Amino acid sequence: MEAPQYVAARVQQALAEDGRTNELGIRVDIRGDQLFLRGQVSEAEQRTRLGQVAHETAPELHVHNEINIVDATEPGEDEHLD
Amino acid sequence: MSILTDLRIAAVGDIHLGEDGRGHYRRRLEGIEERADVFMLAGDLTRHGTLQEGKVVADELRDLPIPAVAVLGNHDYHSDLQDEIAEELRDAGVIVLDDDGVVLQCGEKKLGVVGGKGFGGGFAGKCASEFGEREIKNFVAHTRHIAEAWKVALKEIVADERVVLSHYSPIKETLEGEPPEIYPFLGSYLLAEAVDTAGADLIFHGHAHKGSAKGMTPGGIRVRNVALPVLGRAYGVYCLECEDGF
Repeated sequence: MEAPQYVAARVQQALAEDGRTNELGIRVDIRGDQLFLRGQVSEAEQRTRLGQVAHETAPELHVHNEINIVDATEPGEDEHLD
Repeated sequence: MSILTDLRIAAVGDIHLGEDGRGHYRRRLEGIEERADVFMLAGDLTRHGTLQEGKVVADELRDLPIPAVAVLGNHDYHSDLQDEIAEELRDAGVIVLDDDGVVLQCGEKKLGVVGGKGFGGGFAGKCASEFGEREIKNFVAHTRHIAEAWKVALKEIVADERVVLSHYSPIKETLEGEPPEIYPFLGSYLLAEAVDTAGADLIFHGHAHKGSAKGMTPGGIRVRNVALPVLGRAYGVYCLECEDGF
C-alpha cells in the first residue's frame, strides 16, 4: 500500500497542475481512508472542482471538502500609515 | 505650519478571476473612487493565465473612475501569454508594470509606483544562491535581475511618495502562516534589499494566501500582504500621510 504522505503529495500536485483547478494553497491531509481538503478559495465552483480533482486522483479515499469561501464584499476600514 | 493630506491607495492581489467570474468582480468596485485615489493590483489576476481569463479581468477593470496599476503574478504566466494579458489590460486602461515605474498625479501629489511580478529564492541565511546547476543559477539570477531593475526604477523616479507593487513577497514576516518549507517559492530578500537601497514609502505584495497582513523590511519600509484571502475583503485602503511643510 502506498504511504499516505505520497498520496497527499500527489493530490496536492493534481490540485495545482490540473487545468480545472490550478490552486496552489490547498492543504491535503490523509488519515486512514479519509482525505481532508483545507484552505480558502473565492468561489464555490472552484471548491467543487477541487473536491472533484481530489476524488479523481485518490478514488479509494473518502474526500472531506473543508475548503472555505472568502466572500469579499466590503472594503472595510482604512489603514493610516503615518 | 504643516498640513496633512492623505494619499489613499486601494490594493488587492490574487483576485484569480476565471471565465465564470465575469460581471461579478466589478460590482465589488462600486464606489471605489470615494474611498481611494488609486487602485493597485498585486498579481494573480487570472486563474490559469489564459487569454480568455485575461479578457475577463480587463473587462472587469475597464475604465475605472480612478487610475488602476497592476502587476502580473505566477498564475498569469502559466499559459505563456503574460504579454498578451498585459496588452488586454492596457487596452482597458490599466497601467501594467513590468519591472518599471510610473508617476501618477493624485490631486497635488505625485505618486510614484515601481514594480513587477518579483520572484522567489528565499530569505537571507536560508536562500538559494547562484551556484551549481544552470537551473538553480537561472532561478536566482531571475530574481536578481528583477531586484536590480526595481532599484534603478526607484532611483530614477521623481515623486512625493513611492510605492512598490509586487506579486512575490520581499520579506518573510508577511508569509507567516504559510509552511516555512515553501518560503523560497514565495519571495526573496533580494527584492527588499533593492527597495531598502533605493528607498520607498510602502510595499504591497500578494501570492501568500495564508500569510500575514503586516510586516516591515530590514530598512524599516512598511510591507502589506494584500492577497485577497488575507484581506478577506474586496480590497484594503491604505492612507499615506503626506506632510507639506510651510
